[in-house]
Amino acid sequence: MRSVSFATLLERTWSGITGMVRKPSTPAALFRQADRYRNEGRYDEAARLVAQGLRQAPDSRVGRLLSAYLYVAARRTDRAKIAFHRVLDLDPYHPRALLGLARICIEERDLEGSKVLLDRALQYYADFPEAQALREMVVSWSSAPAPVAEASPSTLPGELKTAAPARDLVMTRTDGTLVFARADAERGNQLAQHLTQVYRMASATLSRAGLGALRRGAIDSGSHMTFLVSDANLILSATLDGNVEVGAGLAQVGRLWTEIGVKA
Amino acid sequence: MADQERSVGQDARSGGPAAAAPRPSRARVFKEILASLSKVASIRGGLLVTPDGLVITAHLPPRSQVEALAALGATLGRELELGSARLERGAFRMALFAADNGTLFVGGSRVGFLILLGERNADMASVRMALGRALDHL
Repeated sequence: MRSVSFATLLERTWSGITGMVRKPSTPAALFRQADRYRNEGRYDEAARLVAQGLRQAPDSRVGRLLSAYLYVAARRTDRAKIAFHRVLDLDPYHPRALLGLARICIEERDLEGSKVLLDRALQYYADFPEAQALREMVVSWSSAPAPVAEASPSTLPGELKTAAPARDLVMTRTDGTLVFARADAERGNQLAQHLTQVYRMASATLSRAGLGALRRGAIDSGSHMTFLVSDANLILSATLDGNVEVGAGLAQVGRLWTEIGVKA
Repeated sequence: MADQERSVGQDARSGGPAAAAPRPSRARVFKEILASLSKVASIRGGLLVTPDGLVITAHLPPRSQVEALAALGATLGRELELGSARLERGAFRMALFAADNGTLFVGGSRVGFLILLGERNADMASVRMALGRALDHL
C-alpha cells in the first residue's frame, strides 16, 4: 500500500476545497470543468462553460471539440457537424473530429463519406479502436446500398393474419433489398432502410461482444413495440400497438416468419 | 470484471484534462446503477456511453473491447432513436437483440445509452424492468 504524507494529504484536501469554491476562469480551466460536467451527463452546464471558454479562446481545438460533443449529446446534429468542421479547420487530421463526422455520416446513411473520414483518422492514428470498429462495420456492409425494390402491398402473401393488429410489416434481405412491405412505397422504403441498418448495427455489436449471429429483436418506443426475426439472408419486422409482452410479440412475428419463409 | 471509468471529454491525443479530478457524485451514481444492473440474473456486464460513443463508465467481462463496443452500441442507439422519430413510433426507450450466444440490451436516455450484455437465455422481462428503472434514474 502506498503511504501518503500528512503534508500531501493536507495539500490535496485544500486543493479539493478551493477547487469546489473557486470558479474556473481561464479557457483551459473552463474546458476542464466542462469536461467533468460532461462526464456526469450535466450537458447544459458543460455547454455554458464551453461557450464561455470559446469566447475567450475561439480557436481552441479542445473547446471546439467539446462543443461538438455537446451538440451531439443534445442531438443537434447540424450544429455538431459545424463544430466538428471547425476542429478540422484548425487541424485537418484531428482523429476525434474525423470520428465524430464519420458517425454523423453513418446516421445520414452516407456510408462512403463515413469510410473516407474513418480512413483519414486511421491513416495517422492506426491504434484507434472506435474508428477501427466503425470502419470494419461499414466495410462489412456492401460498398453501395442495394437498390430497394418498389414496395407493393400486393407482394405480401394475402392470407397472412396476425393475432394483434400489426403494422409496418416489412421483409428485407440483409443487403437492404426490400422483399415486401405492408405500407405505401415511401414508407416501405423507409422501413426497409431502418430495419437493415438496425440489423447490421446490432449484428456488428453482437459480433464484437462475441455473442454470435442476431436471431430476434424487440424495440420498445413506449406506445409501440417492434419485433424482428432474421436468418443469414432475410429480416422480418412488424410493429404492434401497446405494451406487448416480448415473448408474445416474438412468437407472433415468429409465426409470420414461418409462414412467409416458405413463400419468400 | 474490468471496471473502467474514464473522462469522455478527453481527446485521443491531448491527454486527460479531467484525469486528476475527484470522482464526482453523479459519476458514482452512474457506476452504482451499472453495478446493480450487472447483478441482475444472466447479465454479464454493461456500459454507459454518451450519444457520441465515448465511455462514461463500464463494467464488463475481462478482455472486452470496451471502446469498440461503445462506438458500435452508441451508433446502434442513435439509429434506434432516429428510426423511431422518422417512423413516428414515439420516443425510443429500449431494445433487445437475441443472438446465438447471448443477448444485447440497449436503453436510451438523455445522458446517453445503457448497453447490457446478457446470457442467451436471459429473462427478458426482468432485465427490461431493471433497465427501465435504471433509465429512469439516469
